[in-house]
Amino acid sequence: MGQGVLDVDDNSFESEILKADKPALVDFWAPWCGPCKAIAPVMKELEEAYGDSIVFARCNVDNSPNTPTQYSIRAIPTLILFQDGKVVDQIVGAVPKSHLEGLVKKAL
Amino acid sequence: MPKDLYDVAIIGCGPGGLQAAIHSASKKAKVIVFGKPRNSSLYKAHIANFCCSEKLISGKEMLEAGRKQAESFDAVFLEEDIIETKNENKLFSLFTESGETFTSRTLILSMGVARKKLRVKGEKRLVGRGVSYCVDCDANFYRGLDVAVVGNESAATTGAVTLLSYAKTVYLICRKLMITDTLYEQLRNSQVKVIQDTWVKEIIGTNDVEEVLLKNGETLKVNGIFVELGAKGALELAANLGAIFDAETVSFIETNRKQETNIPGLYAAGDITGQPWQIAKAVGEGCVAGIEATEYAKKLAKS
Repeated sequence: MGQGVLDVDDNSFESEILKADKPALVDFWAPWCGPCKAIAPVMKELEEAYGDSIVFARCNVDNSPNTPTQYSIRAIPTLILFQDGKVVDQIVGAVPKSHLEGLVKKAL
Repeated sequence: MPKDLYDVAIIGCGPGGLQAAIHSASKKAKVIVFGKPRNSSLYKAHIANFCCSEKLISGKEMLEAGRKQAESFDAVFLEEDIIETKNENKLFSLFTESGETFTSRTLILSMGVARKKLRVKGEKRLVGRGVSYCVDCDANFYRGLDVAVVGNESAATTGAVTLLSYAKTVYLICRKLMITDTLYEQLRNSQVKVIQDTWVKEIIGTNDVEEVLLKNGETLKVNGIFVELGAKGALELAANLGAIFDAETVSFIETNRKQETNIPGLYAAGDITGQPWQIAKAVGEGCVAGIEATEYAKKLAKS
């Protein structure tokens, strides 16, 4: 809890996300993307509240091109919820906190 | 120090921006206001509930009067959209749709909120699967592909030109372009295929966008469609400066009672800070933002 949002990349994605012993919510983002910046504090708040039961991570699509391609990402921010290595749900765009919290609660 | 340094720059010429301009310019700040009056939500409205005005006032007339008032205090108006903002060395740089750059010690964001979605069949289902609302964010995913941009104004036009560096073919779908002559020239000299006098009727695709059906009956085979209505808004211009949005909706800029954002020198006023959508609120916040920004700019100038 409160450890902050974990940075993952093409190399660490499998071990940190797909093989995580908890569900994981990954924020695919880039530094030039305004809506990504707007949603970052929401991810941080949710991590503080639910970080014990869910991995909160972000993947910079600029530095890690393979993972976004694998999940057919064509818009950022895209937030994908993984459980046991599989995609459970996904949200595109800077959505309200309640919307994202609803996604998180699905995984609890 | 830039030659033409302003104390207060204001994006948006609705009631919030105008009141900010009046208050800062009357305190002898050097003020510039960007934006197009017809894009204010007030432009087509009639006002019946604004204090001290018994008769129904036309929004258009109110905006014109506000501008004259601000100009009487030497505020400068430029009817152009801002397409990019930067914050470096305690100064804000603003890039206009015509390619000019302006620098200011403070920036007041009062461009309101505008509709971003097309509301056509297929749009919601294909978001993130070819439907995008941000060229700057997503252009890179369309390298070598065919794309369309829809919109009548600066965001769509600059977006289409930007996409030329990534996509194979870029169409710009518009009813009628409402942009500056300079931007129009830039578009005309580019490889963007402009399709005018029509609009999107439906976005078609099984898993990803495959086609866009136009109201004129034409069908475009594209891999993606960028919806860029109006001018660039808060998410594009303010988020890039590091402004914090309200967590509940991620739509409005957070301010304190001085209309300050989390970024020193950056203020917000009017609809952009959240409901209610009322002139009285916009004008009140604009007044505070104008006064506060002027004080901040004067302190900065002395330091």
